[in-house]
Amino acid sequence: MKLTLKIWRQDNAKAKGKLVTYKLSDLSADMSFLEMLDMLNEELAIKGERTVEFDHDCREGICGQCSLVVNGQAHGPEQHYTTCQTHLRSFSDGDTLTIEPFRANSFPVIRDLKVDRTSMDHIIQAGGYISSFTGIAPEANTVPIHHDISESAFDSAACIGCGACVATCKNSSAALFLSAKVAHLAKLPQGKVERAERVVFMVNAHDDEGFGSCTNTGACAMVCPQEVQLIDITRMNYEYNRSLTTVEG
Amino acid sequence: MALNAKTPEGPLKDKWQNYLDKTNIVNPANRKKIDIIVVGGGLSGGGAAASLAELGYNVKTFFFQDSARRSHSVAAQGGVNAAKNYKNDGDSIYRMFYDTIKGGDYRSRESNVYRMAECSVDLIDHMTAQGVPFGREYSGYLSNRSFGGVLVSRTFYARGQTGQQLLLATYQAMMKQVKQGTLTQYSRHEILDIVVVEGKARGVIVRDLVTGKIERHSAHAVVLGTGGFGKIFYLSTLAMNSNGSATWRAHKKGAYFANPSWTQIHPTALPQAGEHQSKLTLMSESLRNDGRIWVPKKKDDNREPGDIPTEDRDYYLERRYPAFGNLVPRDVASRAAKERMDAGHGVGPLKNAVYLDFKTAIAKLGVDTIKERYGNLFTMYRKITNIDAYKEPMKISPAAHFSMGGLWVDYELQTTIPGLYAVGEANFADHGANRLGANSLLQASVDGNFILPNTISNYLSNEIRTGKISTDTPEFDEAEKAVKDQVEKLLSIKGTMPVDQIHRRLGKVMFKEVAMSRNEKGMLWAIEEIKKLRKEFWENAAIPGDDKGPNSELEKAGRLADYLEIAELMAVDALSRKESCGAHFREEYQTEDGEAVRDDKNYMYSAAWEWMQGKDWKLHKEELEFNDIEVKTRSYK
Amino acid sequence: MAFKKGLFKTSVGRKNLMAITGLFIIFFLVIHLIGNLILIIPDTFFPIEFWGGVESAHDMYNAYSHFLVHFWPITLVAWVLYAAIAVHVIDALLITLNNNKAKGEKYQVTDNSTSSWISRNMGILGSIIGIFIVIHMAQFWLKYKVLGTEPDLYQLVVATFKQEWVVILYEIGIIALGFHLVHGIESAHRSLGVYSKNAMHVIKYIALCFALVMTVLYAIIPIIIYFK
Repeated sequence: MKLTLKIWRQDNAKAKGKLVTYKLSDLSADMSFLEMLDMLNEELAIKGERTVEFDHDCREGICGQCSLVVNGQAHGPEQHYTTCQTHLRSFSDGDTLTIEPFRANSFPVIRDLKVDRTSMDHIIQAGGYISSFTGIAPEANTVPIHHDISESAFDSAACIGCGACVATCKNSSAALFLSAKVAHLAKLPQGKVERAERVVFMVNAHDDEGFGSCTNTGACAMVCPQEVQLIDITRMNYEYNRSLTTVEG
Repeated sequence: MALNAKTPEGPLKDKWQNYLDKTNIVNPANRKKIDIIVVGGGLSGGGAAASLAELGYNVKTFFFQDSARRSHSVAAQGGVNAAKNYKNDGDSIYRMFYDTIKGGDYRSRESNVYRMAECSVDLIDHMTAQGVPFGREYSGYLSNRSFGGVLVSRTFYARGQTGQQLLLATYQAMMKQVKQGTLTQYSRHEILDIVVVEGKARGVIVRDLVTGKIERHSAHAVVLGTGGFGKIFYLSTLAMNSNGSATWRAHKKGAYFANPSWTQIHPTALPQAGEHQSKLTLMSESLRNDGRIWVPKKKDDNREPGDIPTEDRDYYLERRYPAFGNLVPRDVASRAAKERMDAGHGVGPLKNAVYLDFKTAIAKLGVDTIKERYGNLFTMYRKITNIDAYKEPMKISPAAHFSMGGLWVDYELQTTIPGLYAVGEANFADHGANRLGANSLLQASVDGNFILPNTISNYLSNEIRTGKISTDTPEFDEAEKAVKDQVEKLLSIKGTMPVDQIHRRLGKVMFKEVAMSRNEKGMLWAIEEIKKLRKEFWENAAIPGDDKGPNSELEKAGRLADYLEIAELMAVDALSRKESCGAHFREEYQTEDGEAVRDDKNYMYSAAWEWMQGKDWKLHKEELEFNDIEVKTRSYK
Repeated sequence: MAFKKGLFKTSVGRKNLMAITGLFIIFFLVIHLIGNLILIIPDTFFPIEFWGGVESAHDMYNAYSHFLVHFWPITLVAWVLYAAIAVHVIDALLITLNNNKAKGEKYQVTDNSTSSWISRNMGILGSIIGIFIVIHMAQFWLKYKVLGTEPDLYQLVVATFKQEWVVILYEIGIIALGFHLVHGIESAHRSLGVYSKNAMHVIKYIALCFALVMTVLYAIIPIIIYFK
């Protein structure tokens, strides 16, 4: 199949970017989206042109490194897919695809389609952990955890931190990412000890990093590759309000 | 230099405690005077960084990803082993040790393996406390599944994303230390050299992958947790950017490389679909708990799998290995698949796959149970292949997966360069010639969290008076210059052959001759091919752009340059070992029915190779002694 | 606790404020609707013996407005309401400004298929409602105060709604309000942290039904008066 690609090229965070058009032929529907970019880059390399920079690593949808917006859709047209899981069979022969980086003020462009997502690390640093340290843990079966609670905690913990929620949010809010971690830890007995501080510190960090405020449009949950649910944001709000109204932790 | 494994005295089960009792430790007040560099942010490196930072050392951590949470430990699916005996099925630390040694075909160091099994118990406690949502029974207690090569259920899991959950816990522990100021992160930084001063590892030369700047960092000790080099096959289950460069550069600075040719070929990955393919996605081995592997009995049977009646199906693992059936170790399963495919029974358009069928399990347990156990794997399979595996069998195929080989380390996880440590997949220690499923997450985690922090102190206790290490020394100058020269040299090639294409060709050569099945003629041919490719690479690689900013092609080229050298050592190592053991299967040494023939008399050693400045390698043997286990022919029949 | 940055200063806190003020305004909307439904009670219903033999909707409405003005707790609540509206508006502006700041460079191609138009355009809907409120207040509240002690409010309302443009304007305002409510009610409960999938599911439908009922009942008042 043949595709026309309009790819965002930008030298660095301060430079002005623009869309550059490339045409690719001899593509096959079995190719993954990123393999298509590999192919383009090989053609560019042979011509001695600077290749398109894009983030990718595991290529099986779990590392969260790939971060492309295709025709305005974070991670491409398939819901709950990462870019690397998207295959060309999702497009038709002759389509024109506009490929842009994840955009948000807190995600400055590094080059072309690569963006800097350390702002998300900063949110976790603020409290997205259980402060136990190596060696201190009690025997794991001391505290039984209800099967469903554990599974529910997993649903939240599954977040891969890709940032598609931010990229697709009209407010560039990282609420889904932030709340997934808050919910994961608040649901488990181990995480309950620090729940009050955790949510407040993390929300503060979220705001300090310049992310926007959630207005519950729900777009984030529609694109999330791990299907983290909107109810996690509600959980975060619950935890936040709980922390303001309780006297002790 | 003679190899000294520094195995502690005493009976096997007391060795680790004896070591801990007698090892030197560093006073808490002195720890903040000591700098440690940890390379790699995965389970081993990240665990080490977090644990060392908790102890109060100044730790700097380097990784090429944009966040440590993306390290490739994230992709491990099935689980992590621990000898908890929660199932009351006769499991024990010794049994786990026994299974691991046997699974590794009696080519690993007894003391290390026993220690790994010992620490496994604490690891589950540790990870649970960190918030890992392990699978649970309805009673609320932890659940287990079984994995290949063992007769008990000792694998703990978090759906099919166990690696992700363990990694996130480790990442979170790292973030906690970053906030506390004892850990400094350098994301998007790649190690290009290890600096050795007066025989000790004292720092690293790194390239900032955003600005392109070459930087120097010094420390009292350097820890490599950089994973394996299976990406050398190009098509592998590894991440695109996983690489062997840090370990290789350490090797070139004097660290011995042990058993480099022992690569695990995973039996249940997705088959290659076309030339363009960049990655073979892994389907967890846990699928073999409920899936049955088969091929058509007739050659080139082009019927749909559903149309092939049971009598025309060859459940070859169940046929050949009735005791373990579909749960034989990975090397056995991969080789058996290769044997069937080579005999013309492969399925799929390229005839490069076998079926993994859940029909029996679904009929017995119902779709819902299968969904709860493997739902995310089935979803992943559908996303990639567009096939619903609840309705028709999966097509799977062997793919390069794990490097059992790596930097040679002693009991303290120290390489042959004093002050340079290797943890996790980057070292060679625990898996022998074949790694058992769910032992990889285990080894990486215990190395980083429990073992290294206790052994590195023995070395660091002599460093409390050393003071800050200067980066302004001839050794750093020289290392930096070498790195800069190489970058310049790569950029000046300006050829016409894309780096990935050379890598693909290298991968093909390696997968053909230095993978599941090896012979002398083939490997000699492979060495010649590797040399040709190396020449072509340095003459004609197409590396556009400059070194002033991000340049993926330059990064890939640097890694490939190292792969082209590692490849040769792999072949050299495989050639020198004239026996079949574990994943190392020499066609010359097999029984009539195609089982491996080990030669314990001549090859009961780990081969540690010394770099001889590019001319050749020198072999050092670490003879293996088995005092607590009877050495037998491995049989899963 | 020292770590608390302030009840309403964070992104979550600000949304709390939106939710609380919003829900209070909704409470008012219900009362306001009930009062104004008097306007459309048919003449056949009178006299109503239960309320001391009120003779007509005219009398009843004026008595109702008299009560509102002279009963001091109502005045107090009214001021709280004005404050709530003001806070709702200011908070919305602050959130919007902050969110605009958070946005990076615009996408060259946008795709909005993942969220509803209403949820994305609460600001526009709110602005329409805001303009409507100003006109609404100017037409009645202001005139009521200007016309002196005991004006005939019923007469004023009927006269106003006999103008075509007023009816159209009111319908636009009311429909905007309806849409605003559909997302607003669900969103408010999410912001306040009603952590229950079932509850949120129910609230979503209640919000829809409530918005529909409110819109229809409010919308028919001007129309009925216009055709009366």
